[in-house]
Amino acid sequence: MRITKTLESLPVIVLLAAVGLLLCSIANARSRATISPSQALYWVGLLVIVTPVFFRLSSKAPSYRERLGLVLILGLALYGVKVVHDSIFFTFPDEFVHAFNAERIAEHHHLYYFNSALPVTPRYPGLEGATSALMMLTGMSSYGAGIILVGVARLTFIAALFFLFARVSGSARGAGLGVALYAGSSNFLFWGAQFSYESLALPLLVVVLMAFVEGEAAPPERRRAWLVPVVLGILATTITHHVTSYAVSIIFIVLAILYRVLKVKRPNPWPLALLATGAALGWLLIAARTTVGYLWPVLREAIEGVFETAAGESAPRTLFHASANSAEAVGITPTPARAVAILSVLLLALVAFPGLLQLWRRRRRDPFVLLLGAAAVVFFGALLLRFAPAAWETGNRAGEFLFIGLAFAGIYGAAYFLRAGPNLERRRLLLTAGLVVIFAGGAISGWPWDVQLARPLQVKAHGHEIDSEPLALAEFASRRISGSRFAAPEADARLLLTPGHQVAFGGQGPDIEDIVNNKKIAPWQLPVLRKNHLPYVVADRRRNSGDTLRGYYFPSPGQYGQELRPKVVVHKFARIPVGRVWDSGRIVLYDLKDRPRR
Amino acid sequence: MRGHRDLQRTSIGAVVCAIVAVLVPWEIVRVIAAVPLTLVLPGYAIAAICFEPRELAPPKLWTLSAGISLMVLALAALLLNVFPFGLTTLSWAVLLVLVIVACCRAAALRRGRPGQHRRAARRAWRPPPLAAGLVAVAAVISIAALVLAQRPLPASNAVGFTALWMLPANSQEKAVVVGVLSSEQDPRDYTLEVTRGRKKGQATTYRLSLAPGEEKTFEIPVPRRPGGRAHVVASLYLASQPRHLYRRVTTWLPRQKTFPLPPAAP
Repeated sequence: MRITKTLESLPVIVLLAAVGLLLCSIANARSRATISPSQALYWVGLLVIVTPVFFRLSSKAPSYRERLGLVLILGLALYGVKVVHDSIFFTFPDEFVHAFNAERIAEHHHLYYFNSALPVTPRYPGLEGATSALMMLTGMSSYGAGIILVGVARLTFIAALFFLFARVSGSARGAGLGVALYAGSSNFLFWGAQFSYESLALPLLVVVLMAFVEGEAAPPERRRAWLVPVVLGILATTITHHVTSYAVSIIFIVLAILYRVLKVKRPNPWPLALLATGAALGWLLIAARTTVGYLWPVLREAIEGVFETAAGESAPRTLFHASANSAEAVGITPTPARAVAILSVLLLALVAFPGLLQLWRRRRRDPFVLLLGAAAVVFFGALLLRFAPAAWETGNRAGEFLFIGLAFAGIYGAAYFLRAGPNLERRRLLLTAGLVVIFAGGAISGWPWDVQLARPLQVKAHGHEIDSEPLALAEFASRRISGSRFAAPEADARLLLTPGHQVAFGGQGPDIEDIVNNKKIAPWQLPVLRKNHLPYVVADRRRNSGDTLRGYYFPSPGQYGQELRPKVVVHKFARIPVGRVWDSGRIVLYDLKDRPRR
Repeated sequence: MRGHRDLQRTSIGAVVCAIVAVLVPWEIVRVIAAVPLTLVLPGYAIAAICFEPRELAPPKLWTLSAGISLMVLALAALLLNVFPFGLTTLSWAVLLVLVIVACCRAAALRRGRPGQHRRAARRAWRPPPLAAGLVAVAAVISIAALVLAQRPLPASNAVGFTALWMLPANSQEKAVVVGVLSSEQDPRDYTLEVTRGRKKGQATTYRLSLAPGEEKTFEIPVPRRPGGRAHVVASLYLASQPRHLYRRVTTWLPRQKTFPLPPAAP
């Protein structure tokens, strides 16, 4: 009993979280060192972090502050898992895009510089503007500043979510369990921790919600004080991330309607709905018109995909597989991991539906509770989108917002489970096991299995550091070719953005993908390159050069996804003929403006 | 602000942090100064205007401080962007200090005389030695985990490569710089041959050995040809396979600097 009590003490849990983080770091280091697979060590590390926290949170004993400390440890340690996944560069696909924006701001001292990879991102400069402050005031790189900024945003998010749940549920124990449940969101471990605009916008959204409910609970004369963070948060979210700003707007519109319908005696939040909607629309029309062209095709494809899949016109998507347009063979999620992920969804349903029933019976006159309950229901609807090939990403991204409602409903389900029956300790153990499965399931379904661990980007040989092939090209471009424009496969293009400091186009807008991947130069291709002023073309034989998750690293023998394209794909530009600037075997850089005669 | 120790400390802290962040050359010191200046103090100062001194419990106050600071940073970037000087080290430092000091001043005016909010005596909290020790060990382990993640490690199975590159030495384009970069796992010997024009006599050969991570560059003059461009070709051979072309780069000097026309349709 005494041992159990000691193990449950906060300092021991902190120590275990640190040990778990070290295990994850060792697993990543082994993976970077191309030593035999270390997935087991990594998952043990994750379990060492989360299990003691979940178990302690299920207890009645901890104080309000201890619970807050526990969820902060959870958030910090899991953010650490993301940080130790990276080496000294950002390696997640969106991170290159936002780091490039931040570096442009630091270099040119103004916002809105063009981004070739994702042109909509400079129009939402909240994250990069804030990061530029840290970069300039510290002299740090975008990596260092970004890690600190997202880390602070993440801790703020966890604490604000805890306060939100504590205020709405009226229980600190429930709040802790709610945050533990939220850690099971598929985007929590990696996606939401990357240096990307949503990683700042979502915490701001939760701070806004927390401030709103605190204001609602405050005496009437103190409500206005809470309006300041709400209004600032709405405005900051508007300029930080499109989808989150629309989510804020929808939340306040729904709340305004519910206040009206339920005849709530407190002041109707319609002015906030008006502000959020006006700000989002105003920003869209004045500064970010490209957002429509960016978001609408994704939404349209998602809607069409759902109907096509439902009508049997297109085959449903196979879960745990890469998207159909992935060129290379990628690692397959093992069957036990798939089972855990599916079990986690079942457990979420098991904990959420009793919670929803409880909410409906006891709290259905509370508009905020109704809103959270509705989000929980919609979450399960959004899960179905994962079966539609064109809609799965939309469903996955929506989950991040909807999971707040699901975690809230889960609080009541967990509380019901802990109340019923005789043996409390056994039930605590069962609940902890359930939370661990939900967390692991979220981590498995949120990030591809084969890239949960880091891969070698920079390695040591004979005491010297050597870079992977695409990284070496990017470093070369940074040192030797100042501020030029490149056409490249997607992964190469991301590295050319940062650390390459170049304008680099990849993908299909313009259709660079076909230009660099085809065996012949079609008549339309050179005009496209000329029209977009792209004198430098990267030809890459590696099939995974189009993969923004896996295309940056050293290959190792026997590893899947190492297939090469035919040599002609690389050498076709030499036949024009044009100058070859860089040749590293698999990657060749051409300068289209360097040629013998007109 | 006299008598409001938290506001005084916040204002002075902001000024000191800003001066350190702007003037001190060492990055780590600047980080220590800039983090509170950007991520804590603006939010604290604004929260101080909105709330009474002990209206919020410290955890909620600090959460709100961090949250509002993030909001301020995002919105302040828009404000600074309006001015011609834009977002610079100095403009950020000045703006943040102005926001913090102005808000602290406004909070002090709102609070009124300090006697109204006399601080209750608080016991200084000291953690038990064992708990403090465990947390310290945890901090050391976490730092070790982060340091390990930052270190490139030997990876014997990673397949290395050698890169050959060539660029004009300068804007006059009277010479080229040829570089050979080894990202191989082991030291290697190479032969580099650079030809200018079609005549074999204009070839220059270099023998070089490179350690992993080592790069060697050669500046090679390219005399102007009276009637056209000089075709420069750099070819790299492994010393172990001298007849097998390993890498090749080419250029025509002076460069034409226009895009090629599309190939004729078949």
